[in-house]
Amino acid sequence: MLSRGSSPRRTNRFAATGIAGVAAVTLLAACSSSGGSSSSGGGTASAPASSGATSASPTGTPVLAGGNCSSSAAHITFWAWVPGMNRAVNEFNSTHTDACVTLQDPGAGTGEYVPLNNALKAGTGAPDVAEVEFDLLPSYEIQKYLVDLVPYGANKYKSLFAPWAWSQVSQGNAVYAMPSDFGPMGFYYNQQTLAKYKITPPATWDEFAADAVKLHSQNPKAYLINFPANDPQWLMDMMAQAGAWPFQYTGGANLTINWAGPAQQKFAAYWQKLLDEHAVSAIADLSPQESTELDTGTLGGAIYSAWAPSYFAPNVKHSVGQWRAAALPQWTAGGKVGTDWGGSTYPVFSQSKHPAQAAEFSEWLTATDQSWSIVKTPPSSLFPTYLPTLQSSSFKALTYPISGTSQPNQVFSAGALSIPLTTWPPFMTQVLTQGATTFGAVVNGKQTLMRAFTAFQQQETAYAKSQGFNVTT
Amino acid sequence: MSETALRPAARVVTRPSTPRKRRRRSAYARRQGRAGLAFVTPFMIIFTLIMIAPLGYAVYQSLYTTKLIGGTSFSGFANYSAVLQSGDFWGGVIRVIIFGGIQIPVMLAIAFFFATIFDLGVARWGPLFRAIYFIPFAVPIVVSSVMWGFLLDPAYGPFNHLMNAVGFHNFNWLSGNLMIPSIIIIAIWEWTGYNCIILYTALKSVPRDVIEAAILDDTPLWRIIVRIKLPMVRPAIIMLVFINTIGAMQLFIEPTILNNYQAGVVTNTWTPVIDIYSTAISNGQYQLGAAMAVVLAVIVVAISVASLGFRGRRRGQQ
Repeated sequence: MLSRGSSPRRTNRFAATGIAGVAAVTLLAACSSSGGSSSSGGGTASAPASSGATSASPTGTPVLAGGNCSSSAAHITFWAWVPGMNRAVNEFNSTHTDACVTLQDPGAGTGEYVPLNNALKAGTGAPDVAEVEFDLLPSYEIQKYLVDLVPYGANKYKSLFAPWAWSQVSQGNAVYAMPSDFGPMGFYYNQQTLAKYKITPPATWDEFAADAVKLHSQNPKAYLINFPANDPQWLMDMMAQAGAWPFQYTGGANLTINWAGPAQQKFAAYWQKLLDEHAVSAIADLSPQESTELDTGTLGGAIYSAWAPSYFAPNVKHSVGQWRAAALPQWTAGGKVGTDWGGSTYPVFSQSKHPAQAAEFSEWLTATDQSWSIVKTPPSSLFPTYLPTLQSSSFKALTYPISGTSQPNQVFSAGALSIPLTTWPPFMTQVLTQGATTFGAVVNGKQTLMRAFTAFQQQETAYAKSQGFNVTT
Repeated sequence: MSETALRPAARVVTRPSTPRKRRRRSAYARRQGRAGLAFVTPFMIIFTLIMIAPLGYAVYQSLYTTKLIGGTSFSGFANYSAVLQSGDFWGGVIRVIIFGGIQIPVMLAIAFFFATIFDLGVARWGPLFRAIYFIPFAVPIVVSSVMWGFLLDPAYGPFNHLMNAVGFHNFNWLSGNLMIPSIIIIAIWEWTGYNCIILYTALKSVPRDVIEAAILDDTPLWRIIVRIKLPMVRPAIIMLVFINTIGAMQLFIEPTILNNYQAGVVTNTWTPVIDIYSTAISNGQYQLGAAMAVVLAVIVVAISVASLGFRGRRRGQQ
């Protein structure tokens, strides 16, 4: 199935993908390339581009679809890393004569963002349309790299999308991208493991804490879930559900940063208590270790998102068919608050020479049954923000081998409509990298989560001020 | 072009500094000089384009600051002042110096040991083993880091089972205390074969008659190795120390990959290059990153000059 995931890739962004980018900077210090421990490798794949490749591409990136455009059609360059996207592009090209899209995949996450940022900064070489995750959209908006899609009719699609997704792509009266997929979160658990410890999916976070203690007391080697303190995105998404979202930003120079407020500290204290009691494990999430421990029953479950069944499936060997989805535990009994982890949008860039046709493609890709009938299926397996697909009974009834006959999309679809609105600071890459380091100290027990939150408040405030923002708490 | 004609000309070309000699140069020598220039020019053009110009541009960039709100402005040495006062940056520098200070001597000792065995010809299938030891060098560092990440994984890595079997429970190769030793092991695995080949080649160039004379004098083997061969390959060893030091200062890939196996150990300032990467790429502070890169370059150049100076002094003594 898919190895999709906006967020999963995010965690690895710091890793393998950084190598090509750093080469430019380290050139300075690089007198040797042959000796020592750190010559740069990696880089982009070197498959030759097919004949129709445009010049607007990272060097050597293969063309996955398009490339045989007629001269009368507007040539649209499109970057995305979702596997199987070429099927949708071919469908678009065969049904449209005014525009012809060429798809390239420069790599997931940073693999795309680094060449994209370079091209945008250079003022030339950027694609017309590219995949950009929700949390990074404000980073492109603030630098005026995006085309407002309202003149191209974007607003008429508003009612077709989950409210959270539409709020993410709009700022003021402008719409800066079309939303595609997202990841409503839930409690994803192994039915047999939980049954063994006589635990049913908890309805509230209080019950969740009690269950975590209960499970660990029965088996000191096992845990209900892993608490991935090193993953700021997971943390922030959970903070959104707890009503403790730490940022407010709606464009311009004013920015609210609040990691040290009462709601945030209460959230931190909840998890720190479980860490102190060793009721949750603390390892890197979406890591080989986590996958193995989930598969072998060391971990009973995970707070995962809608893409998790697909993301996790390739690593499952022993527990096929045992996985179930349940709604997120609630902070208030009887509540129905969800949250989102990851997801992508398709903005049009201001460098585009054909913004009308680029917008037409982005709208077709995200807001038509025709497109969703393709991208919801493997290997793309996108979880739709597009309501007609999200709410269709056939989508909710999908089954996955690791989940047996259960229908996890029933749970995730329900959670999709109750996501608290969030706004991202326009420098999320910095937040994620610094957060991984600051919260990573919690994993080692060198720091409590409360103190890490306070430290992060200071670090983020200092960074935002150095970038010229007026910061309030 | 006879050899006798070429020799004096070459000498003139390499010593063009005194005007007296330059005046005396023959037409032939001038032609030779022009030919030399023509040979050097393509390299110098490329060198200027891909090394000198970006270096100059980085220095230029490091004097500016770009803010998301407010744009770009000249900031003088503010970026340098920030780097020099950054505890994280210098912490990273000290970390890679410790890393290199252990990794390089251990690796060179192992490499010299194997190079000597190959050189003596006492091992059977020497060429085969030389090739085998060289293989890790041919594996891309990203790939070998991923491989070692699985080998050292705290949950199910075979090295962990090994430690468990000999009585060390809850042993974590990738924990905060053992991350540097683990990366040293990885780096030694990656680079010993390469260093071994260089040393083997150097040992091969030790004149046979010197060794034969020592053998006729009944010199013990270990003395031949330590007192004769080792001093004679000293230039190669100094070159390897030099190259490996530069590499160690740029440690990046191994800790970056291992970060995916163990949360919370490798920070975003763990080594100077990781620090530069997160500053420039993740934080978008390219100019500050450029200033850090210039400072790191100065440190590397200082170490290089020091090691070349050491080499020069050695020569002078002999």
